[in-house]
Amino acid sequence: MYKFEKSFYSKTSMYSFVVVLLLFFSMWYSTSKFVHIDMALLGYAISSTVFAIGLTIRMSFWMWRKATNRVAKRSVDNLFNKERLKRNSKAVVKTLIDNIILQKFIFQRGIYRGIQHFMISWGCIISFAITFGLTFGWMRFDLIDPETYQIIVFDFPTITMAAHGIFAEIVYNGLNIGAIMVLIGAGMALYRRITDYDVKVTQRFEFDILPLIILLAVTVTGLILTIQYTFLGGWMHHYMSLIHQVTVIIMLMYFPFGKLFHVPIRPLATAVPMSYQEVVKVDTKSCKSCGQPYSNDDQIADVQAILKSQNFDLQLADGSYLSDYCTGCRRRMRALKQMNLEAPQGNPYGPVNTNNGIHISGFSKKRSEEFYGLDQDSKEEKIDEPVSR
Amino acid sequence: MNKIMYLEFERCIGCRACQAACRECGDHDAKERNYVEYVDFTESRQTFPMLCMQCKDPACARVCPANAIQITDEGVVLSAMEEKCIGCRNCTFGCPFGIPKFDFEKNKMYKCDMCYDRTRHDIAPMCASVCPSDAIRFIDFDEMQQLRRKRTQMNLVEGKKPQEGNKWDYVPEFFGVYTDQS
Repeated sequence: MYKFEKSFYSKTSMYSFVVVLLLFFSMWYSTSKFVHIDMALLGYAISSTVFAIGLTIRMSFWMWRKATNRVAKRSVDNLFNKERLKRNSKAVVKTLIDNIILQKFIFQRGIYRGIQHFMISWGCIISFAITFGLTFGWMRFDLIDPETYQIIVFDFPTITMAAHGIFAEIVYNGLNIGAIMVLIGAGMALYRRITDYDVKVTQRFEFDILPLIILLAVTVTGLILTIQYTFLGGWMHHYMSLIHQVTVIIMLMYFPFGKLFHVPIRPLATAVPMSYQEVVKVDTKSCKSCGQPYSNDDQIADVQAILKSQNFDLQLADGSYLSDYCTGCRRRMRALKQMNLEAPQGNPYGPVNTNNGIHISGFSKKRSEEFYGLDQDSKEEKIDEPVSR
Repeated sequence: MNKIMYLEFERCIGCRACQAACRECGDHDAKERNYVEYVDFTESRQTFPMLCMQCKDPACARVCPANAIQITDEGVVLSAMEEKCIGCRNCTFGCPFGIPKFDFEKNKMYKCDMCYDRTRHDIAPMCASVCPSDAIRFIDFDEMQQLRRKRTQMNLVEGKKPQEGNKWDYVPEFFGVYTDQS
């Protein structure tokens, strides 16, 4: 295995090779040895393969990040832990339904944004499923008798349907339905991006608006194709199909490198209910200063490991890490340090001494030198030194 | 842009005008992103304002598993990108200063972005523009240096001499956004 890995330029290229190989074999299998391959979609097939390579590279680099790696590893470890079976299945189902199918959290951010995102995402999912299914030959239609079509998925015959039935019409127009959904959603999104002042604060053209324009270009050219072959008798259809192909290829090339890359990132959200949710009376992670429980044990362990692996030195004098304190105490510590108010009594968890010796009332008073411990030898200094809290 | 956010905690009177102003800022969605807290309520009524330090190498961005926290060209650390943020709250626990906030309802993290739409055009952030006691100021780098020098001199007048090991105890905190060009 090691030798196999070494024969590639990098791990990423190995993964890409495997992905391309898998795609090729799935294509070979589902088109029954390339007998039923749709040559008209060859351009889409090639660009989809390049898209798969791009996605693999981006996913590899993303997974290589210390934080992502750690969180993903924790999730995978927890996933195969039999004791957590109930919690895991609940987390996966909850994330799948709430975050991916219903997208509840976006509806919480506003009904307009909810509808807009729901339209774009489901339109895209429908369109992508049909496009990839057809280009790679995973799905095809066979005429078994003059009135009946059969859907063949991975060379396995499934549902049959009447050639002019309602279900068949819905299936044939799947791409159109998806396109109309994306058209509505992307149009709403573009309108919001242009008019909403709040959004304009941090939006960037190449990141936020360009993907909408690309999506709109794909859907509009696709819908024009439909109009041309249904109402205009195929007028200019050939040229338009080329233009549509170009826009789709641009979209597929853009996908792994722009805003649309958030789609493969989202499933990591399962990690949150799966590993990071606080369980009452199980998680005992309490603040070192105020004693209030504030987080999940695993999460703090992960955060500390991630920070340590990236050389963040956030360890205090008493060996604790800043993440061992709750956020409120961390803010307080910073202010105390800054105002020189830290307890000089030696007990870092004791009450704060608000008389810090710097701002003593009246000029004639002498300041207590022991607070600074500058002229004492190191042994005494250690005792009297204000301990970081 | 070579302006500095300059905080003097001792000047804070706890009026929370900065928080009210923060809620009004564009893209802040009527939620304050800064803090005004008591040092120790049982000991004194001293409050302090707290904002994001806009670190050059932010711990919050480093612990984010979704790579959602981005830094602008000016060096402002923005809130997590809404489409990437998976809501794990690692940033909240990773931040050494406890700054990022989390909106459980909308499942997203938000943090001080120095009122990016204002500071980008050299306008003071909302909190600094309303602070009545100048605890939060948005000033030139040179002015900040002057203030710090004055502060050190004041300590000298009072009979304290900062030394190499503790000179930072004598100056108020400063942070801000620098560019290398200026």
